[in-house]
Amino acid sequence: MKLKINIGKRLLTTSVCLAACLFLMQTTAFAQDTTAAAKDAVIPAKAKPVKNTFQSIWIIDNQTVMVPVKGTFEMDIQHRFGTVNNGYSDFWGLYASSNIRIGVDYAPINNLYLGLGFEKYNEIWDGSAKYALIKQTRGISPVSITYYGNLSLDTRKDPTNSLFTHYTDRILSFNEIIIARKFSDKFSVQISPSITHQNAVPGYLTKNDSTGRTIFEEMKHDHFAISVAGRYKLGDATALLIDYDQPLTKEPTNNPNPNLSFGFEFSTSGHTFQLFMGNYSLLNPGKNALFNTNNPFDYTQTGGTKVKGGKFLIGFNITRLWN
Amino acid sequence: MKTKKHIKMKSKLTLATSLIALSIMSFAFTSIVQKTKPWPVPEKNAKTPNPVKADKESLATGKSLWNLHCASCHGKTGLGDGSKAAQLKTQPQDLTTSSLQSQSDGSLFYKISEGRDDMPSFKKKISDPEDLWSVVNYMRTLKKS
Ligand code: HEC
Repeated sequence: MKLKINIGKRLLTTSVCLAACLFLMQTTAFAQDTTAAAKDAVIPAKAKPVKNTFQSIWIIDNQTVMVPVKGTFEMDIQHRFGTVNNGYSDFWGLYASSNIRIGVDYAPINNLYLGLGFEKYNEIWDGSAKYALIKQTRGISPVSITYYGNLSLDTRKDPTNSLFTHYTDRILSFNEIIIARKFSDKFSVQISPSITHQNAVPGYLTKNDSTGRTIFEEMKHDHFAISVAGRYKLGDATALLIDYDQPLTKEPTNNPNPNLSFGFEFSTSGHTFQLFMGNYSLLNPGKNALFNTNNPFDYTQTGGTKVKGGKFLIGFNITRLWN
Repeated sequence: MKTKKHIKMKSKLTLATSLIALSIMSFAFTSIVQKTKPWPVPEKNAKTPNPVKADKESLATGKSLWNLHCASCHGKTGLGDGSKAAQLKTQPQDLTTSSLQSQSDGSLFYKISEGRDDMPSFKKKISDPEDLWSVVNYMRTLKKS
């Protein structure tokens, strides 16, 4: 437990440092630009925002800073297989029961993307909105900043109200700010702090007598987390992806695990295909932030033995764009 | 008895519809055999000058866009031998020939931007016109000397 807080704190510090570096490197880049411009004696007409900081709206388990151009219609199919730990018996999870999300998105105006999706696990519908606030532009902004919000609804049948006391207990909200920088044609990084809000948390009475009642809540209603993700392009159509998610809020019980995922991206004009390994098995950003049970580093088996190496699973994202 | 007659009539109807379908298909096939139809470009577009200088940066942008968006049909070097070319109804032309390359930058820009039949429109896929011009610049390097 104690270790986890340390990691969280350290990660926060690292991220802050990273963010600082982003700005610092921009300053150096400026200096270089001026000399280059002086040499060539060419004045760039008008600075334009950088393009394709990432290829897709997804980087494995997270949203990227990207918002496709107005009029784009997109369909996403995402799969997360079972964990690889069972080995041959379920072929490293490929034949275990998998989680699936199918989603559609549309850009009605520039810089805005609206989405709707359905996830198999817990029959979750999600609606999302993404808005590009600032785009990385030479001389104007060293980073791109995008807001992403996701509201999800658990639609499992619950006739006896055993799962949910109120209808609003089914709702989970996830909000994040994505800050990204494209360092070169090949290399981009983004940092996204997020907050997930759950309307209802499990709890029990610790005291219930004439002097009053005390309720112990197993989790907090608001949960903070931070993600760092990067892409390195190997060619025009292939890239390496890496993504790390760190929970920051210390929960009274049921602390979620961080997520480490890495893999490849293959793109064509209208498709991107991402194939990777990671710890997140859910396909909703808020649910993942709150309830990830797969640890990337080590985990405790039922019975108490600690196992090194964590619990990973294979997954893929397919996107198709029409524009 | 009544049902039998009904079936007979139904099969006649099927025959008629398949005949219609067949004749439509034969039309479709003729158009495949036909040589590529001319692709007129409005004069205003054909005369639009290329505002982007074909410098190193523009060619690099053009090349990476070509590899991502065009090579699957037109082939890496523009011969029309991309992996997707065989499935297309219309065959992409050899873009390396001098007759094709004799077109103005504006004409090429117009065709890439608008598209036709199997050739997709790239207005939105490559949403910055300057990038489209860079693709035109890169296409010039495909010309066989
Ligand atoms: C899905 C396959 C496909 C893709 C992808 C594609 N093209 Fe084409 N292209 C075609 C076909 C087929 C034609 C012939 C169309 C016709 O004549 O009706 C064509 C025609 C053209 C022409 C016109 C040649 C002429 O007759 O003057 C140009 C120029 C061209 N493509 C450039 C591009 C560029 C640049 C890209 C990438 C940005 C691209 N194409 C992507 C299939 C494709």
